[in-house]
Amino acid sequence: MLDKDNTIDVQGARVHNLKNIDISIPREKLVVITGLSGSGKSSLAFDTIYAEGQRRYVETFSAYARQFLGGLERPDVDKIDGLSPVIAIEQKTTSKSPRSTVGTITEIYDFLRLLYARGADAYSYNTGEKMVSYSDEQIKDLIIQDFIGKRINILAPVIRARKGHYAELFQQITKQGFLKVRVNGGIQDLVSGMKLDRYKTHDIEIVVDRMLIENTPDNEKRLSESINTAMHHGENVLMVLDQDTDEVRYFSRNLMCPTTGISYQNPEPNLFSFNSPKGACDHCNGLGTVNEINIKKIIPNPKLSIKNGGFAPLGEYKSSWIFKQLEIIGEKYGFKLTDAVESISEEAMEMILNGGKEKFVVNSTALGVAREYKIDFEGISHFIKNQHDESGSTTIKRWAAAFMDEIKCPVCEGSRLKKEAMFFKINEKSITELCDMDISDLTAWFLDLDHHLSDKQKRIASEVIKEN
Amino acid sequence: MLPKSLKKIKDRLAFLMNVGLDYLALSRSSKSLSGGEAQRIRLATQIGSQLVGVLYILDEPSIGLHQRDNDKLIHSLEQLRDIGNSVIVVEHDKDMIERADYVIDIGPKAGKYGGEIISKGTPAEILAAHTITAMYMNGEMKIEVPKKRREGNGKFLKLTGATGNNLKNVSIELPLGKMICVTGVSGSGKSTLINETLYPILNAYYFNGVKIPKPYKKIEGLEHIDKVIDIDQSPIGRTPRSNPATYTEVFTEIRNLFTMTSESMIRGYKAGRFSFNVKGGRCETCEGSGVRTIEMNFLPDVYVECETCQGKRFNRETLEIRYKGKSISNVLNMTVDEAVPFFENIPKIYRKVKTIQDVGLGYITLGQQSTTLSGGEAQRIKLAGELSKKDTGNTFYILDEPTTGLHFEDIRVLMEVINKLVDKGNTILIIEHNMDVIKLADYIIDIGPEGGKGGGQLVAKGTPEEIIKNKKSYTAQFLKKELL
Repeated sequence: MLDKDNTIDVQGARVHNLKNIDISIPREKLVVITGLSGSGKSSLAFDTIYAEGQRRYVETFSAYARQFLGGLERPDVDKIDGLSPVIAIEQKTTSKSPRSTVGTITEIYDFLRLLYARGADAYSYNTGEKMVSYSDEQIKDLIIQDFIGKRINILAPVIRARKGHYAELFQQITKQGFLKVRVNGGIQDLVSGMKLDRYKTHDIEIVVDRMLIENTPDNEKRLSESINTAMHHGENVLMVLDQDTDEVRYFSRNLMCPTTGISYQNPEPNLFSFNSPKGACDHCNGLGTVNEINIKKIIPNPKLSIKNGGFAPLGEYKSSWIFKQLEIIGEKYGFKLTDAVESISEEAMEMILNGGKEKFVVNSTALGVAREYKIDFEGISHFIKNQHDESGSTTIKRWAAAFMDEIKCPVCEGSRLKKEAMFFKINEKSITELCDMDISDLTAWFLDLDHHLSDKQKRIASEVIKEN
Repeated sequence: MLPKSLKKIKDRLAFLMNVGLDYLALSRSSKSLSGGEAQRIRLATQIGSQLVGVLYILDEPSIGLHQRDNDKLIHSLEQLRDIGNSVIVVEHDKDMIERADYVIDIGPKAGKYGGEIISKGTPAEILAAHTITAMYMNGEMKIEVPKKRREGNGKFLKLTGATGNNLKNVSIELPLGKMICVTGVSGSGKSTLINETLYPILNAYYFNGVKIPKPYKKIEGLEHIDKVIDIDQSPIGRTPRSNPATYTEVFTEIRNLFTMTSESMIRGYKAGRFSFNVKGGRCETCEGSGVRTIEMNFLPDVYVECETCQGKRFNRETLEIRYKGKSISNVLNMTVDEAVPFFENIPKIYRKVKTIQDVGLGYITLGQQSTTLSGGEAQRIKLAGELSKKDTGNTFYILDEPTTGLHFEDIRVLMEVINKLVDKGNTILIIEHNMDVIKLADYIIDIGPEGGKGGGQLVAKGTPEEIIKNKKSYTAQFLKKELL
């Protein structure tokens, strides 16, 4: 059955325990290598064939590139003929990163983000209403209504959370006759040769106009023109910066909540990414979980006294600063280190766990003098949390983690995304809801989707393809 | 016309369905995936890439897969082949071997007794050859179904109302003194029930474990067992200084033995002299590791054999001490199979090396670095370590897929060991898909019926003979073939 021209020929393989074997493996066939464990199956498949394929691939790189890859050793084999490019699919779990999910490793999530950024309907998180888009006229009226008598800057956002030095962009803006830009929240004069750190993400807006809003025809005309210019440069979005409060409000030809007036930025795919600062929930940084102190782990047995190790992180009594502090707190709140932890008053527990600063005077009856005590206590809970978040040592982090529980992030409820991101919906489902479905349900949902997409959404979604 | 990005999403979803991962959600964190699941995701992505003319090499893709999903997997591999790729699979699964175009059988035994091609050809040609694989495939050799199931000791461990993940208020009764198998399709909730609910409860009770079990209502019968031991596939050590001998503590005994030799007594050598981890007897050039690491900027570290000790790890004086003509370094380079007769007369050492041999690891050397052991091998070393301890006869063992990476013959050997443990009165709970193991169980708990949301219920329980009468259970359908 073996056609000599269509085989992978291995000659004289001696890797590990292989005994100088010759074998012809048919190509374009399903080949199974079997045998007892330890018999040399993997030595043949991985350590000989795969290793050689990998080595030849690396050999094709330039010498410069190879120094980063490292030289691969030649497997102990006389000759392998007819080898095609080799891809090994091993058992190793792909990534231990908490940011990696089934969606991201299959890249389905990337397509979903694109789809949501371009094709989803936005809903207001205040009212749940569908966001509507306004004409320039309506925006002008709104600005006059809301900002009358105030000094404002009209800004046209041009760069949103992207990396680059943007030297050419600044040059271009200058050529168009603008004088100022707002970079990462600070207004600057445009100067020649201006550029930014190319490895950081930046927000750049052109300052189109600075004006005092009055209800006069002249003013209105100027406002109209500025809105028009800003919309042109900002691709249908403009920002109004209140000069007094430094607050920014977005106005958009695209999406605004009709009632409360909140507007979303035009969705970019990274709004739906929990690995980007634009999309990640601020509380948990896109992890979906946060670590919280578990009181039960700090006080595993409330019947124990402090002296006998009632507070697990402290251990049993030793002559140390922290126990002295606890003694002083005890003086103030009336407990002894030998009392069971459960008998300590709530007020005192608050002080022990969450800390505080206090000065108080105790009259010592024996000596007849008053002594002043000072409490400056960080609190056990705080201490553990700080150690966990900031300590550079993994040992200390692990110690602190032992008293904490990993809980669902209370802000994003485990969705990892910002609030806005969850209010973009396709067929009434947000991207998080889709990701929580299992794959069979998700497949069914997508099959059903065709009937529900509006023509506009279909058109927008097909634009997406051009970008890829 | 449908947008292409939608099509791309749909295609990828379909590939995931095809490799039997329909129960996963996209939000599932990838660190919680099992090795098999991660591998199948990569497989799905590869099929999606539509490359042609590539040689794919897969390492046991059927691990952790229920028989039901195995068909889908084989089909995906055939698809990969049909679009014009070569596919090489390292596999023990019978169905996979039968559906292959070409099979290569390597053996005849393991380690230095292996490494030869004992037969090759189409599945039919393989079957005709007289090899262990062929004999298992055509039924000449098989793992015998026991005639009688064990009675157990009549005591029970009862877990009531488990509701973690997809579990739907599951209550189970585990008969003690038996071999129990927990089965179910992938994603049905087996691991949630056992590894995330039962084990943390037991571990917290016996050893003050801190892991919080998934929600449950009640546990009863804890007083009937003494301790719980979980034998999983995590590596036994991550440093090159750990090896099977140090892990099973047999090395301590061997070192003590060397201090008892007359030459060693004369020189006054203590046990530390024979350790490669402390100063004294080890080679100081390589600090006992046998190799020297040369750090190269931009290049991976290079390991060269230590020129002072020639990789022997000890200094000359230490190597002069010999027991039965072998130095401590020679002993570390012995395979377990060689060590068993060598230490025949030293009961403490003999018992331990014998158990390593019993779990089918006769081919590894005592000094083999732990980092080079596979997950299945590491698990069996742990099993050997547990076996060589004096057991209480009242221990509850939990094994998660112990047959991973094992050939039919290896499974038979392993099951013999497990049976011995149960015969001493211990309880063994095995999470398993392999029918050869399931059919040997005294009691089966089948979770399902489907994966994900469609699972999480107790589908069937009882002896294998009782299970096969159940119509709803997928396990029952496959088990029936094995028992008849």
